[in-house]
Amino acid sequence: MGIGSIIRRAAACACLASSMVMIGHADAAEKHKIFLSMSFIGNDWQAEAANMVKAMAAHKDYADKVDLQVQVAGPNAQRQIQQINAMVQAGAEAIVIFPISPTALNQVVKNACDKGVKVFAYDGEITEPCAYNIAIDQEEAGRVTAEWLVKKLNGKGNIIAITGVPGTSVDNLRTKAAKEVFAKHPDIKIVGEAVGMWSQAVARTELSKILATRNWDDINGLWMQVGCFTANSMQLEAGKKPEQLLPCAGEGSNGGRIQMLPAGTEAEGATPPYAPMGAPRISYASPPYSGALALKLAVDAIEGKEVPKKTVLPLPLVTNETIKLCQEGTWQEMKDGCNAFKPSIVSNPGWFASIFSEKTPEIGLNAALVGQPEN
Amino acid sequence: MTMMTSTATSRNWTSLFSMSPERRSVLIAIAVFLGLLGLVDFVSSGPLSYFDISFLSSGGATSAIAAIGQTIVVLSGGFDLSAGAVISLVNVVLAQGMDPAAAQTSVVYWTCVGIGVGMLTGAFNGIFIAFFRLQPIVVTLSTMFIIQGLTLLVMDKPGGFVAPDLGTFYLGDAIPGWLPMPLVVIGVVLLAWLWLKNTRFGTAIYAVGSDPDAAAAIGVRVKLTKFLVYVIAGGCYGLAGVFISAQTGSADPLVGNPLLLSMFAAVVVGGTRLGGGRGGPLGTVFGAYILMMVVNILLVLNVSAYYSTIAEGTILILAVLAGSVSYSSTLAKQLRSAQAQFGAWRQGLLPSQLDRTDRRMKMPSSAEGKLVASSFLSRNSETIRYALPAYLCLLAVVIVTQLWLGRAILNPTYWNSLAVLSTFLAILALGQGTVILTGGLDLSVPWTIGIAGILLAGIVNGSDAALVYALPAVLLIACLIGFINGVGIVVLGISPIVMTLAMNGILQGFALVYSQGTPAGFSSPMLRWFMTGKIWTVTPVVPFMVLFVIAAVFLLGRTAFGRRVYGIGNGLRAAQLSGIAVGRTLILVYVLSGLCAGLVGVLLTGFSGQASLGMGDDYLLPSIAVVVVGGALITGGRGHYLGMLGGVLLLTALQMFLAGTTLPYATRAILFGLVVLGAVMALREKRS
Repeated sequence: MGIGSIIRRAAACACLASSMVMIGHADAAEKHKIFLSMSFIGNDWQAEAANMVKAMAAHKDYADKVDLQVQVAGPNAQRQIQQINAMVQAGAEAIVIFPISPTALNQVVKNACDKGVKVFAYDGEITEPCAYNIAIDQEEAGRVTAEWLVKKLNGKGNIIAITGVPGTSVDNLRTKAAKEVFAKHPDIKIVGEAVGMWSQAVARTELSKILATRNWDDINGLWMQVGCFTANSMQLEAGKKPEQLLPCAGEGSNGGRIQMLPAGTEAEGATPPYAPMGAPRISYASPPYSGALALKLAVDAIEGKEVPKKTVLPLPLVTNETIKLCQEGTWQEMKDGCNAFKPSIVSNPGWFASIFSEKTPEIGLNAALVGQPEN
Repeated sequence: MTMMTSTATSRNWTSLFSMSPERRSVLIAIAVFLGLLGLVDFVSSGPLSYFDISFLSSGGATSAIAAIGQTIVVLSGGFDLSAGAVISLVNVVLAQGMDPAAAQTSVVYWTCVGIGVGMLTGAFNGIFIAFFRLQPIVVTLSTMFIIQGLTLLVMDKPGGFVAPDLGTFYLGDAIPGWLPMPLVVIGVVLLAWLWLKNTRFGTAIYAVGSDPDAAAAIGVRVKLTKFLVYVIAGGCYGLAGVFISAQTGSADPLVGNPLLLSMFAAVVVGGTRLGGGRGGPLGTVFGAYILMMVVNILLVLNVSAYYSTIAEGTILILAVLAGSVSYSSTLAKQLRSAQAQFGAWRQGLLPSQLDRTDRRMKMPSSAEGKLVASSFLSRNSETIRYALPAYLCLLAVVIVTQLWLGRAILNPTYWNSLAVLSTFLAILALGQGTVILTGGLDLSVPWTIGIAGILLAGIVNGSDAALVYALPAVLLIACLIGFINGVGIVVLGISPIVMTLAMNGILQGFALVYSQGTPAGFSSPMLRWFMTGKIWTVTPVVPFMVLFVIAAVFLLGRTAFGRRVYGIGNGLRAAQLSGIAVGRTLILVYVLSGLCAGLVGVLLTGFSGQASLGMGDDYLLPSIAVVVVGGALITGGRGHYLGMLGGVLLLTALQMFLAGTTLPYATRAILFGLVVLGAVMALREKRS
């Protein structure tokens, strides 16, 4: 017994020593090999998140520490499983993942953890306990926006709900939380509901279908996961004046933010409907900086710092009271409270504007646009 | 080239060339697979260990098993779009059914449950396809929607629990250190197939796939064979669902859906011919693993994410081309015929070089006067019979909308919205419909739409003046895409599904590279007005639509091009022998499809005000569905554009009705599937 335990302890010491040597070695000579496994890059959010991760890796604090490789899994969870396996094989120290499914990756993530790889999930969640998760509280997002809408309508009115991608946790949590709020107010009626797939284009198609048998005048408010920008444009097309726009709780795209600015605000490059018009809105978003923050935390974890398993990001909320136009979009400027960008700089109204985090002074507007870090 | 000099090698080569095509393509699939495996081994750090092999084998097992099922369906001449949905359904059923508190879980029991659920869905497909004689593509499309709805009813978000016992069994080792379990599972399925293939039933599958009429004539029970094929395939999807449950340890209602298209790619890469009668599951398994290994190769070669779909598309085309290198391949034939044509041209023997005297047979001119025009009804009875059900269903949907939601029939906004929302599918229906009339399929529609929209928005950037040159430029590019599709299909002899699927991936890559992930720019005011403005209550695009429909009917019904299209669809060989320039016509057909998709991209950009990546993704399956619901035959030769238009209006009206209700999404999906199925029930072939 005695000898056995001594041997075991000695072995443990040796292991510890050797692993410390390895870490020291890696620090001195080699960069940390970190992989990014994204889902489909075919939408603005994903592209922005990828740009911000790349910018973070290129920042002077990280450029000589991190060797980042980016791979795309498309919408296919099977492929992401395969990809994570291949990344582990290729000697990853950490893997940053946009998880296609919160559950399907559990086994492969556990496998990676067992081999000492740090796994960080951003935006979505991985339920395997060894993974680090960085995301907003989706239920809070659903609840707060629904409460805002109820308050705007004084607890009474017909609303239309445009949800996200059916069968995903994010959509499920947001929609359920919002519906719970609406259920508490019997005078709030959901008169139309459609699946918006988190896309402005789909939101327009679905709203057109709903409005084929309904009139804008029968509707008092909109709760959408993505689509307020489009809904406002449609109301203007239907002949409404900007001051008649319905209150809309929805996404944090820059187009929507610009519309929230009081009419007449000077915003370079604005052309209707991508122009200030004082639209009554609450704008929320899953912030695209979460991937970059995940990378930062991954480096911390590799370097042996204490990182909590779950990082709940503050929910970025902007209302007509807090909306403010940025001049250049530096991190410092955003820290001082600006949260919308000029159309001359951000030409795509679907671009997501919630890019500010206290925790990521390395990245600003240029990071999200072109993958360039702050100085 | 050495094969000419050395007789010994020459004999080897000829034996490789002269062996049956399917055996050769299986061998080539295996060779490509081994080559890729070698490449992975070469470029990755250490040598391939048992651990790597075990990882690889479990990674590709789900799609390999499901693709085996798909192969059997394809062999029988069918097509199964419900495969991915069945995998998701089995996944959630298992996770929902298992008791997390139970200490022991029976692997055999749950495997049987999974396979059983799969077989039930297969039986559902089989009944409609075999006994009601409906077209497989539309039955399985409806089933896909219905099953997706059911899956969401069972479980509306990812979660649940699959016992680790299942994982330990399916992902473990059969012989530790030597043989991983996934390979054994695939092996068992393949052995079962081998046994089945040598029974009378196995022969019947090939016979039915080659020629159902001939099979029936020699006494094969065609209906029963078809039915059983779908049941067996369902069982394979069920097993794949069990495997993915074991692999993930939980459930996700969306997990299986994206597997569908790659499954077809695996079938084709493995050497099975779409349309039936030739190939087999062995090649498919290697096909599935080839496609899966591409992921690893892209990773070790560190190919930029934007280029990955381009690389995959190229690999798909190369793999298929490699599989078809032979004396009898289309490419070789084309080269020989080009040579012959060149020779004839030098000797001045080409028909176009001869003097243009009328050599037609003289007809007695008196006969012309005696011809009595038959009545409109009797001339068009067949067209009407196939086109009418869509319109009757449309009427029913409109009435239901009126009763349920009010404000439909007398509401001009309703009809205007119906017309505007139908525009996209109506235009696609002409392109996709013409391709289907020739017996092909265009899967490159989504990203042709996407790239057209993104290019247009990028060039126009809000300026009406720029529209003048941007519009023709974008449409020209769309035509070019169709032209490349056509050349690949006609000259290189790549099957339409593979060519257009690969093209779709390549276009996606181009769109990503061009837009750097976020498409810039927006539509010009004029284009936006065209799609969303109002003249009284009519949107400007609606009159354009009317003109388009008239032009489309004229094109397919009254021109030589239209007659050639129907000729090719009814019999390629017969068309060739009657002097139709088949190749040129086919290329034109794909150009037309590209043009239509490009036009939809432009109009969608006007409608949404901006272009987005993936804007065309929702239009692929509906574009096929409307064509078939409108009475066209997926194997080609039959269908009328007005029927397809009926299909478009029906599906759009149905979606408008469903959007107006507050039914949950799952119920809507099920209803949608049922109505499509009901519409095609009316199209069923009369007993001959």
